[in-house]
Amino acid sequence: MSPFRIASSAIFLLIVFVFQETLVAQIDLPVAGFSLYLFALIGLISLEDRSGALILGFLGGLILDLSPSTDSPIGQWAFALTVIGYLLSTNKESIGDFTTRPLAFVLFVAAGVTLSLFFYLAIGLLLGENNGSISRLVSIVLGNALWTVLFSPVLLPILPKLRALSLTSRERI
Amino acid sequence: MAPAGNNRSRLLLVVLLVTALFFITLDLRGVSLAKGSRSVTQSVLAPVQRAVSSAFSPVGNFFSNVKNFGKTKARVTELETENAKLQSQLILNKDIQGQLTQLRGALDLAGRAGYTVVSARVIGKGSTSTFSETFTIDAGTRDGIRRDMTVIASSGLVGVVKSVTSSSAIVLLMSDPTFRIGVRIAGTQSAGVLLGQGDTSYTLQLLDPAGTITVGAELVSLGSDGDKPFVPGIPVGRVTSVDRTSTSLTQQATVIGLTNLQTVGVVSVITKMAKQNPKDSLVPTPIPTVTVTAQPVPFTPPIILPSLSPSPGTSASPSPKATK
Repeated sequence: MSPFRIASSAIFLLIVFVFQETLVAQIDLPVAGFSLYLFALIGLISLEDRSGALILGFLGGLILDLSPSTDSPIGQWAFALTVIGYLLSTNKESIGDFTTRPLAFVLFVAAGVTLSLFFYLAIGLLLGENNGSISRLVSIVLGNALWTVLFSPVLLPILPKLRALSLTSRERI
Repeated sequence: MAPAGNNRSRLLLVVLLVTALFFITLDLRGVSLAKGSRSVTQSVLAPVQRAVSSAFSPVGNFFSNVKNFGKTKARVTELETENAKLQSQLILNKDIQGQLTQLRGALDLAGRAGYTVVSARVIGKGSTSTFSETFTIDAGTRDGIRRDMTVIASSGLVGVVKSVTSSSAIVLLMSDPTFRIGVRIAGTQSAGVLLGQGDTSYTLQLLDPAGTITVGAELVSLGSDGDKPFVPGIPVGRVTSVDRTSTSLTQQATVIGLTNLQTVGVVSVITKMAKQNPKDSLVPTPIPTVTVTAQPVPFTPPIILPSLSPSPGTSASPSPKATK
């Protein structure tokens, strides 16, 4: 992953983060909200090789740690998403090329978002955080998964195109 | 033998995880890493949230209405009647009108208790991926708001100021699972702790083993030392059911909040407590219903007095007694 792509991906994620915090979070969707940020991050991670997925997971997690509404220590999201980046990058090799299999791509991203939320909660549990009742947490996580599956067909095709813009000529080959 | 690429990525994984753990440890050890960086983020996001909020609130409200459709279905008939009256007021902006009503309610509540308040508009809600229940309001330190100040709306408690920048503040809502507040059952001295559940219901744990909770009892805040984070006397909620099966020594109950946190648009932050504790004076009192009892009056036929000299065009009129 070239330094240019790391920088451009970080800027893109920052823009999505501002969009998520100011606009998407205000939409009071049934069951639970939709995390456009996690969707975009997991989508980008799914397109990267192993090192790229790790770096994006860590950077993306650090950005998410900056959310003013969260109470968790800085680094919790970074830890969770680095591990998720590793898990997704190792497992996607067995699935193959996503660009020709859109349904697999949608399900893979939705599974990634769900796993990220579960893993973040698990770390929080180890750190002694109180995030409410199990039913509430399950509804938030599953609600996010549901909305990710529903919104993915519309939003997912944009991600490979955006990523292609940030590829250097050597990476294109 | 593992390929070199795999080894490199494993090394990278370890380095990144250790870095993340380093940040977590620093944060948990009290280095204010999170506070400082999140304060900067909040300062950057607040102006954008303010702009987005004014432009986007009708769309946000639409989704909120769709979400609450099941609950409000029963009120459709009632609202249709009310809607006819409101048609005449549509010349005013609906959004501003709603905020004015909430502001008036909050100021009325604060005025009755003698609190000094700063009113603010809700400009953002916390993202669900953070698992916490928060609001962002458009007033900050330059308006006199400080951390740990009580936040109220027209019906009662909303939450407490969690963090503050010069122009905005994050309010931790009473529905957050980490939220705890000491409460007193209005009209009694029974104290308890109210716990947020992440939704519209709350759990009340009574501290007094001999105390009893009754359904419908109103709860008011007990107040904190130095009135921070909670001033006393704020209406908090109403008991909807009492848990009689609980094995704990003290009674537990389910409570519903007096403030609908989904629809709050304007809040007031209490910057200065009243000289006197308002005690139970802020508890909403039910509007008294007037019962009218009517006694049936036996019908008396009108008495027609015979006219000695009837003239054409004159008709007999009933006596005043008969019309009574």
